[in-house]
Amino acid sequence: MTHLVIGGSASGKSTFAESIVSRLPGPRYYIATMEPWDAECRARIEKHRRQRAHLGFETVEHYGDLQSLVLLRRGTVLLECMGNLTANVLFGSQKVDNPLPAVQRGLESLIGQCDNLVVVTNDVFADGRTYDDSTMAYLDLLAALNRHMAARFDHVFEVVCGIPLCRKGELP
Amino acid sequence: MILVIGGYAAGKRQYVRDSLGYSDGQMSNQITDDVPVFYGLETQPDTPLEQLLQKDVVICDEIGGGLVPMEKDERQRRERVGRLCVALAREATQVIRVVCGIGQVIKG
Repeated sequence: MTHLVIGGSASGKSTFAESIVSRLPGPRYYIATMEPWDAECRARIEKHRRQRAHLGFETVEHYGDLQSLVLLRRGTVLLECMGNLTANVLFGSQKVDNPLPAVQRGLESLIGQCDNLVVVTNDVFADGRTYDDSTMAYLDLLAALNRHMAARFDHVFEVVCGIPLCRKGELP
Repeated sequence: MILVIGGYAAGKRQYVRDSLGYSDGQMSNQITDDVPVFYGLETQPDTPLEQLLQKDVVICDEIGGGLVPMEKDERQRRERVGRLCVALAREATQVIRVVCGIGQVIKG
């Protein structure tokens, strides 16, 4: 089964994604996508790490397009989050030339290696602002990936104030 | 306590007037005012949860739907408003999300 969880900042989307994972069998892999650039990133990473400590994840740090990611066993994967991964493949150390098909292939590779996949992604499209070209490219790529995943995945949930709203499939 | 959320100028207060039956005089953006409806939480993210829970209705803009702000203060405000809304929604008897003036009950 594949699950997409989308929400704005501080909407409770991680907590909800973790509650989906807590019902699914192990082994549990957490694919961490945030490159630890500065103290604020590191603090955020640490906060999330503490929050999920009880779920017994094996953390896999991966900052690229997922195509080279190899899982040793099948199980349940939580990928957090597509917003960071998108920034990584556009601007980060793992930059790629054609990021949309690359990440799409990476997702297929990941789906092929696990029994359950939960992807957390970000709703960052509602501030009504226009940004510079590279930021608009980021918004376009993340939006395209969100649409792709929503079409491809079995379940899609939007989280609002910690409340999951089912947009496709059914609530766990 | 009923939590009413939605985008900027989405029609939240009008919804509270028309559908929940509160008058303008019963609404204030000052938490200390002795009225049942508090609005404007998005600009006052340090308001104590206990005080908010004593209101009949709390109205808050949804502000988490944009890119991460460049300014640290703005990032922190957004984070605090979001976390506060999650905590309020957990305690609320009802959560209503307003889009174009139309309310959708998403809890309760």
